[in-house]
Amino acid sequence: MLRRARLMGLFLVAAALLAASCGGQSGPKPSSSSSNPPSSSSSSASGSSNSSSASGGTVTLGVITSITGSQAAFGQAHQRGYEIALEEINAKGGVLGKKIVLDYCDDTSKPDQAVQCVSKLVDQDHVPLVLGSYSSESTYAIVSVMTQKQVPLIIPTATADNVMQSGSPWIFRICAGSGDYARTMVDFLKHNGDPKTMAIIYENTNFGQSNDKSMRQAAAAAGIQVIDEEAYNAGSPDYKAMLQKVKAKHPDAIYFASYLLDAVTLMHQARQVDLNAKYFTAAGTGFSAAEFPTPDKGAGKDAEYTFSVNQWLPDASWPGSKEFDQKFFQKYGSHPAYHAMEAYAALYAAVAGIEKAGSLDPAKIQEALHQIDIQTAFGPVHFGASGQNPHPVLISQVQKGQYMTVWPADAASAKPIYPTPPWSQR
Amino acid sequence: MVVLQTVLNGLLTGGLYALIGIGMALVFGVMRIVNFAHGALIMVGMYAAYFAFTLLGLSPYLGWILSALLLFALGWLLYRGLIRPVMGQSDFMQILLTTGVWLALVDLAQLLFGADYRQINLGIANAVVRLGPLRVSSGYLLSFFAAAVVIGLVYAFLYRTELGRDVRAVAQNREVAPLMGIDVERVSAVAFALGAACAGAGGALLLPLFYLYPTVGDPLLLRSFVMVVLGGMGSVEGAALGGLVLGVAESLTGYFWTDSYSQVVDFLLFLAILLVRPSGLLGRQRA
Repeated sequence: MLRRARLMGLFLVAAALLAASCGGQSGPKPSSSSSNPPSSSSSSASGSSNSSSASGGTVTLGVITSITGSQAAFGQAHQRGYEIALEEINAKGGVLGKKIVLDYCDDTSKPDQAVQCVSKLVDQDHVPLVLGSYSSESTYAIVSVMTQKQVPLIIPTATADNVMQSGSPWIFRICAGSGDYARTMVDFLKHNGDPKTMAIIYENTNFGQSNDKSMRQAAAAAGIQVIDEEAYNAGSPDYKAMLQKVKAKHPDAIYFASYLLDAVTLMHQARQVDLNAKYFTAAGTGFSAAEFPTPDKGAGKDAEYTFSVNQWLPDASWPGSKEFDQKFFQKYGSHPAYHAMEAYAALYAAVAGIEKAGSLDPAKIQEALHQIDIQTAFGPVHFGASGQNPHPVLISQVQKGQYMTVWPADAASAKPIYPTPPWSQR
Repeated sequence: MVVLQTVLNGLLTGGLYALIGIGMALVFGVMRIVNFAHGALIMVGMYAAYFAFTLLGLSPYLGWILSALLLFALGWLLYRGLIRPVMGQSDFMQILLTTGVWLALVDLAQLLFGADYRQINLGIANAVVRLGPLRVSSGYLLSFFAAAVVIGLVYAFLYRTELGRDVRAVAQNREVAPLMGIDVERVSAVAFALGAACAGAGGALLLPLFYLYPTVGDPLLLRSFVMVVLGGMGSVEGAALGGLVLGVAESLTGYFWTDSYSQVVDFLLFLAILLVRPSGLLGRQRA
């Protein structure tokens, strides 16, 4: 009896640990690459093309994104963007005459899993290039690993500026960063009503902290007084006490840095505590997700009037923008947000780099990526020496459930509505 | 006024914590088992209510009954199949066992439902109720009242029924109770199942207010420990009070300090009570 009980307890623990270890990571894919002897990825020897990822007439590129977990909505947007780019590129003959295959690895919205994904993609599958990840937190975690492994990384969406801080030549970013976000938002506010005070509400992760820091600096430089900075931990979403505190300080403007679920909850609870600001503004992300203004998966009417930094909208004038929007809508039944577009453009940039390198050697691709200068539906992409693509950002506002571009004035499709009417008058 | 509003918000959250806390206290009080699976049981209750809502269209304000019944059954089976064999063994064995159940349930959820965050958008839970100058979220208000009803039912069971008296007797003295003709095995099973049912109901009532993901119960498990200690180990009334105190403490922390420190305050409270008043707020010392 005693022994049985003991065994049972141990068995349970063992079973749980086992489940934990296999649930966490996607196992190695039984592909042709596993039959090749693992060669060192740090191929400084020039001319040695990466045979394993090019075997069978295809080129395999690695993708890390958040297919499950708290950021799954964005991971899905990534996937859709990649898939559309993949179809187009393969229909035109692929790269170096070979079809492209994308090797996805799910980081489950966690940085430690993103690091494991790098090991899987680079060490086991021998991809010559990786695209990813979604969040700044996960991306920051893989920057140094990718540099060590000497395989180029193209970052589609991570806005925290510290992902580019290492100065590593292996890191390329297609999107604009938190510094550009803050400067553009402040510029918009200065030209539209000029609020005097601001509160910043941000998720206590790399993405939130980086946007908080950037906004604090940009606001100070422009003479907007930051009177409150509130960090929150996602997961137990009762933000009413925090919002009460912000309400008591009466800021003219609020700047949020939040992912989708929190953006929804924050706006619902702002109404519940009757927090009225003249401007509800945000560092993109949750506040610019395609789902955010919708009633079933987003904040619905509570999203109305919110301003957000935006990297791209379907009405952008770059050639290919509208076609991408149409293709996306036909395929998935909804309009894309910029997260999908950035993934789409990132794959095009990767292909341009490989074509220019003329080889699948990671070192050659890296050199070539610094030199590319291409036109995409996301605008011109050129990484230059720094690896950062100088992408212009916009300000959008939710008007009648739609994102409308309101800034800069020459790209605007609607006039900004401000001050935001108080909740009692909506 | 703002402070009053903050306290009120905290009390409403605290009501839900209280329901979760008494579930933990029931198991601890009767069986002296620290149930590490409690948070996972809350998670199971949330998923049950989630699927009742998405598949059957059953509002969580009714779905909690389903969750409670399901968790009662699950609790009963867990007790019969796994807990009973380790009763009377070292605490270490019991901790190992309930931890095993916790991890197994969380990983099972991960396997079945993925790591996705889910959220239900219930119009009725997003409205605002005005109480004079105070504003209350309808979702929190509804969940609070439903939790109060469940707590009332549990209380009535413990103090108004024969079986409830047996439960209290076993909690008081496990050795003497059988001498009075009480079937300790049956009473233990009932107490464990009831504790699980409280977790299930609590989870279902949290659903309109929280996100749902496989590890959602983990921070709630930690809070349950704090509540049980605050209330005096194993005291059901104490744990309910502990829940309210915790809710208010977190809310005030968010207002006066910053939201990301609310869990820090939880554990400072936990340590302070253990150091200064180990018998809990209500001070019922247990042998």
